[in-house]
Amino acid sequence: MGMRRLTRLTGYAIVIILLFLLPLFVTKPYYLHIFIVTLLYIIVVSSLRTISLSGQVSVAHAAFMGIGGYFSGVISKELGLTPWLTIPLGGLAAMIVAILIGYPFTRVRAIYFSMVSLLGGMAIVNIIRVCQKWTGAAGLAGIPPLSPINIPGLINIVFLGQKVPYYYFTLLLTLVSLVVLHRIEHCRIGMTWKAIAQSHFVASSVGINEAGSRVLALAVGCFFAGIAGASYAHYNLVLTPNTFGFLPSIFLVMYMLVGGRDRFGGPIIGTAILVMVPELFRGLKAFAPLILGAIMVIVVFLMPQGIAGLFDQIRARHGEVRNRKVPGSAA
Amino acid sequence: MGPALLAQVAVNALMLSSMYILMALGFAILLSVMRVLNFAHAVIYMGGGYVCYQLAVVYGLNQWASLVVAAAVMGLFGLFLERFCLRPFFGDVNRTIVMTLALIVILESVVNILVGTQVRSLPAFASGVIRSGGVSLSVERLVTFIISAVLLLVLIFFIQKTKMGQQMLAVSQEPTGAVLQGINIYRVSAVATTIACALAAVAGSLMGAIVSLSPYMGDHMLVKAIEIVILAGIGSIGGVLGAGLILGTIDASLPILISGCATDALGLGIVILILLFRPQGLFGHEA
Repeated sequence: MGMRRLTRLTGYAIVIILLFLLPLFVTKPYYLHIFIVTLLYIIVVSSLRTISLSGQVSVAHAAFMGIGGYFSGVISKELGLTPWLTIPLGGLAAMIVAILIGYPFTRVRAIYFSMVSLLGGMAIVNIIRVCQKWTGAAGLAGIPPLSPINIPGLINIVFLGQKVPYYYFTLLLTLVSLVVLHRIEHCRIGMTWKAIAQSHFVASSVGINEAGSRVLALAVGCFFAGIAGASYAHYNLVLTPNTFGFLPSIFLVMYMLVGGRDRFGGPIIGTAILVMVPELFRGLKAFAPLILGAIMVIVVFLMPQGIAGLFDQIRARHGEVRNRKVPGSAA
Repeated sequence: MGPALLAQVAVNALMLSSMYILMALGFAILLSVMRVLNFAHAVIYMGGGYVCYQLAVVYGLNQWASLVVAAAVMGLFGLFLERFCLRPFFGDVNRTIVMTLALIVILESVVNILVGTQVRSLPAFASGVIRSGGVSLSVERLVTFIISAVLLLVLIFFIQKTKMGQQMLAVSQEPTGAVLQGINIYRVSAVATTIACALAAVAGSLMGAIVSLSPYMGDHMLVKAIEIVILAGIGSIGGVLGAGLILGTIDASLPILISGCATDALGLGIVILILLFRPQGLFGHEA
C-alpha cells in the first residue's frame, strides 16, 4: 500500500509540475484561454460534487457562479474596490444566498430537490436579468481586471490583457480549492454528508442535524462556485446572464456525472475531457457538439460509474474488487 | 383593465395553460410511471415543431395532416427512446440523466446542421379574428386551446377507463406490486413514453405556429413543465391541470404589468413560496 501511495503522489506531482510548466509549451493565447476556463469549471464541478455527497444534486450551480461573478463585478466596478477583495466577497455572497434558499429546499429530497433547485437557479438568473440598473441591459461590461501585484524591486505582475498571469492565478486557485474540498470531504462533516445520503432517517436517528448539514454542504459548494464565477468575471471582463442559465447548470451536472460521482477525481476528469475535446474539433463547426454527444453516449453505455469509475471497472475485472461507490449515488 | 383586454388575456391564459399542460402532462407521466426526469422532453417538443414545419412548409403537405404525422413520428421516436435510451438504465437515475442530456446535445445540433439556427415560424393553423362587442379574439388561439382540451379529455379517459391506463396508474403507484400482478412494466413504459412524446410534438407544432421555431425553443418549455409538475405534486394528473392553469394565467396576465423576466422570476418565486408551506405540492401526496 505504501508503494502505491508513493506512485500516486509522484503521479500527482508530475501532473502539477507539468501544469505549472504549461505556458512554456502552449504559447497560443487561445489555448491558454481554454485551459483557464477548464480550470475554473473544475472548481465549480468539484464543488458541485461536494454538494452531491449529501445526496442532493443541485441543478442551480451555474446560477451561483453567476451570483459570485455579478456581485464581485458590480461592487468592484461601482465602488472601485480591488478584485482581490471582491472575489472572496463574491464567494460569500453566493454562500449567503445558498444558505437563505437552502433551508426551504431541504424540505424536498433526491430527484425533487434537483427539480426545485433548477427552479431556484432560474429565478436567480431572472433576478439578475431584471436588475438591469446594475447588471446592464445587454450584459455587464467594464468589469475591472485583477489589479497588478506590484512589490517594488521584487515583482510586478500586470494582469490586463495577459493570459499567463491569469493562468497561474487560476491554477493556484484551483489547486487550493481542490485541496480544501478534498479535506472537507474526508473530515467528520464529509462523513456526515455521506451518512445522510445513505439514509436520512438513520442519520437523523443518531443525532445528525439533517437540514443543517445539507445546508452546510450547499453553502460550501456554492462558496467555491461563487469564487470561480467571480474569477471568471475578472478574467472575461464581460458577463451575460445566459452564461449562468438553465443549460449551463445542466451541463455542470453532466460534467460531474460523465466524470463519475463516486471519486474525487471524477469531476476533474469529466470537466477536462468534456470541455477540451470538443475544442479540438472546433474546425467541424456545427458538428462539434455531436462529438460531445458521442462521448456522453459511450460513457453512459460502457462506463456505468463515469470515466473515473473505469479504473475500478478494470480492477474489478482483474479480480481486485474494491467498492468505492459513494452511498446514495442512485439518488 | 377593460373588458376587451380582459377577454384577450383570458383567451391567452387558456391557450398558454393548455400548451403548458400538454407539455407538463407528458413529463409528469414519465416521471411517475418510469421515475425518469426526462430532460429530452425539451428537444422532443422542438423536434415535433420542426417535423411539422418540414412537412407543411417544405413538402407542402396539408398542415393538419402534418400535425398528425409529426405527433406520430415523435411517438415512434418515443418508442425508440424507451427501448434504447431508457430501458437499459432502468432504475439508474444518474445514467438516465446523462442519456437524456446526450439526446438534448445530439438532437439540438442535428437540427442546427439540417435546418440552421435562424428562427422560423409555421403558418397559422387557423386564421381570422372573432369580433363581438369590441372584444376581438384570435381564432388560432381558440383552436389551439380546443385541440389541447380534446387531447387532454381523451388522455384522461384513457387513463381512467382503459386497462392500459389503469396499468399505468398501478405502475406509478407501486412498480413492484404492479409487476407481481402480472403487469408488463416495459410495455406500460413504452406506451407512456409514446403518449408523452406525441403530446410534446403536438404542443411544439402548435406553439411553432403561434410563437416561432428555434432549436432552443424547448428549454423554456421544459422549465415550465418542471415548474408545473413541482407545483402540482408528483403523481397527480389532476394537479397538473390545476397547476398549469395557475402558471398559464400568471404568464399570460403579468407581462401586461411588468417585464417578461420579472414575470418569470415572480412565477418561480411563487412556486418556491408554495413549496415552503406544502413541500408535497399543491395537489400531491407526500413525495
